[in-house]
Amino acid sequence: MLDPYQLTLHTITLRQFASAEQIAEISGQPRDDVETALDRAVAEGTAFAARGAYLVSPTGQDLLADVYRRAFAAPRADPEIGRSMDAFEIGVNKQVLTLTTDWQTVELNGTRVPNDHGDPDYDARVLDRLGRVHDRTRTVLRPMAGADPLVDRFLDRLGDALTRAEGGELDYVSSVRVDSVHTVWFQMHEHLLRLTGRERQE
Amino acid sequence: MTATTSPARPRWVIVPDDPATEPSRDLVGGKAWSLWRMRSLGLRVPPAFVVTTRACAAYLADGRLPDGLADELADGIRLLERTLGRTFGGDRRPLLVSVRSGAAISMPGMMDTILDLGCDDRVETALAEETGDPAFAAEVHRRFTAFYGRLVLGCVEDLDDLPDTAAVRAAIEAETGETVPADPWRQLRAAVGAVFASSRSRRAMAYRRHYGIPDDLGTAVTVQAMVFGNLDDDSGTGVLFTRNPADGARAPYGEYLPRGQGEDVVSGKVNPKPLSHLARRWPAVHRELLAAAERLEREGRDAQDIEFTVQHGQLFLLQSRPAKRTARAAVRIAVQLVHEGMIEPAEALSRVTPEQVRALLRPEIAPGAAETAEVLASGVGASPGVASGVVVDTPEAAQARPGCVLVRASTSPDDVHGMIAASAVVTEQGGATSHAAVVSRALDTPCVVGCGAGTVAALAGRTVTVDGGAGRVYAGQLPTTAVREDSDTDLRRLTDWALLASPLRAVREQDTAGPVFDADTVAGAELGEGLPEIPPGTTTARGALFGTPEGVRAAVDAGVEAIVTDHPLPVLLAAIAHRKGRTR
Repeated sequence: MLDPYQLTLHTITLRQFASAEQIAEISGQPRDDVETALDRAVAEGTAFAARGAYLVSPTGQDLLADVYRRAFAAPRADPEIGRSMDAFEIGVNKQVLTLTTDWQTVELNGTRVPNDHGDPDYDARVLDRLGRVHDRTRTVLRPMAGADPLVDRFLDRLGDALTRAEGGELDYVSSVRVDSVHTVWFQMHEHLLRLTGRERQE
Repeated sequence: MTATTSPARPRWVIVPDDPATEPSRDLVGGKAWSLWRMRSLGLRVPPAFVVTTRACAAYLADGRLPDGLADELADGIRLLERTLGRTFGGDRRPLLVSVRSGAAISMPGMMDTILDLGCDDRVETALAEETGDPAFAAEVHRRFTAFYGRLVLGCVEDLDDLPDTAAVRAAIEAETGETVPADPWRQLRAAVGAVFASSRSRRAMAYRRHYGIPDDLGTAVTVQAMVFGNLDDDSGTGVLFTRNPADGARAPYGEYLPRGQGEDVVSGKVNPKPLSHLARRWPAVHRELLAAAERLEREGRDAQDIEFTVQHGQLFLLQSRPAKRTARAAVRIAVQLVHEGMIEPAEALSRVTPEQVRALLRPEIAPGAAETAEVLASGVGASPGVASGVVVDTPEAAQARPGCVLVRASTSPDDVHGMIAASAVVTEQGGATSHAAVVSRALDTPCVVGCGAGTVAALAGRTVTVDGGAGRVYAGQLPTTAVREDSDTDLRRLTDWALLASPLRAVREQDTAGPVFDADTVAGAELGEGLPEIPPGTTTARGALFGTPEGVRAAVDAGVEAIVTDHPLPVLLAAIAHRKGRTR
């Protein structure tokens, strides 16, 4: 487990230039705890602050690498969690990338053109499949969720984004400016990589 | 409503076949209601019956199908059998049905449609004999098995790609440990139960909670006979669009496949004939079809996509829904329907998406300019559009120099703030689903991916023009064609209507005094990946951010009066949609 300071620093790596409020939303910590941790991080040189937004410094990255080695030693050594991460990478993660592309583009006469969202049936089909992948992700990540409290929080935030998209707020699928399925998915992926000590593929 | 043959009055099932008696939408759901509506317009639809939402409530209360429902299902099926002269599960002239969910309000996460229910090995044989087409019968069986596996037994794996029924059965058993029942009656009861249960799926519940829809609404189940277009030379299947889906012209357009069945036309595996073929061979059916199309369009108040089947020379209408269309056709049809008095301008505005207008207004390289230009790099066009700028190679440099072109080996979440600031993105590695492609499309930023190793070094510091549609990077700044709303009659008209309906104005030049907020002047670090704080009292907002739906929403919420943009119409449409969403 990470302490509040470590968790705050870790969360900044999941979202560049995040504000205290955005960090609290991702990590689920009380806002006051986040602000205390951010003040300490800036004072100790583990994070940079630029007008209310934060970035981890190289010192902070070194510190985190150390923290991860100790705090995540057990999950990193757990073969069940290793298999869970393998299944995540080759299964649902690829599916989400493909479905995001299906959401943004449609095939027209053999080439892919931007989805102009003029066909609600098409959009509903993609959302339906994203919903099923989301359900499946919960199953795939069950061993991780047992070892790490943030996983369930990410899955709930993914569900929230999906519900908003289903209600017609279409940018909750892939916009980078809101907590869309894609935004939260990338944060979760980065979190899982750090938890398991792996590198991003692609 | 016709009473079924059972002596007691049915409690759970309704047959909506009396044009004079409108069924309660809450009781029979939207799908069955529209079937009734088609009948009441004098159109022929395959016979059907509905299991009501009352049965759903009983199912959800007790966790099983209510007493008496099994008998009423049997009565309903007998009615379909008598109407069509076929037998459910029979080894001669078998009856197959579709099973669909239908709530009064449609919502995600609920089970959709199972086609071809009632199929087993014997029925497959019977169907093969009747049609003289064993491959068709095998395909019906395979398709049904996949539907059942996915929708009733909850398979997540894509079963559509598997070659035959045996493979689908094996995949279902491997994933769920369950088997598809051979008895058609058990199939039917399980499918009805699965539809009911799906109204309590986690996603459906989350949706209702978020949008304040009562949880006890439940769903109805429509059971409808399948008709066949491949029985003989007097049979066939087809689609008709009431207006041309490419340009929106008001002329019916469609295809007919003699001796074809259902998805054959949609799948594109065979070459269908134009509708004129039907007009020559079966003028009466063709006339009936065109009259039905006209009625359905007036009823739906929108261009329709109509699926139909001719069985033994008799026309059945299967489905009518708003037609898919190109961006150009969407604009044409919306404006035209207002002129024809079918819809009001306010509704026309909801028929065109901001993305459709943006696609029509996207600049292109001026004709001829690309041919003489030097191509510096080429790859996969991942996000269309044209932009010029100086090439930088780090996200930090992009933030420091908004409007530049960001070129990277590949991108990761660390690059997003730089991608937001850049006018175009180019990468060395990656394809159409890579991070750079996905994020650029989300930002509506032109993007070319997979240009190959060495691209960063070759381009850094140069001024280039990126064509994200063609997948090319040219030397220098090429001229582009500027498309504007006022150069097109339909777009101009939509813009006029949108200005009246929108909660804010969208203008090309700032036209009032008062505090201005320019998102382009906000430092990249502060802007981050989120939305900036719009200072209270701001009357005018400008900057690239306010051309996006997120930016428009933020501006409406902050009470901004005007957005300065080169393309007012997409901004106005996004503002109107947001206002409508909030007051829903």
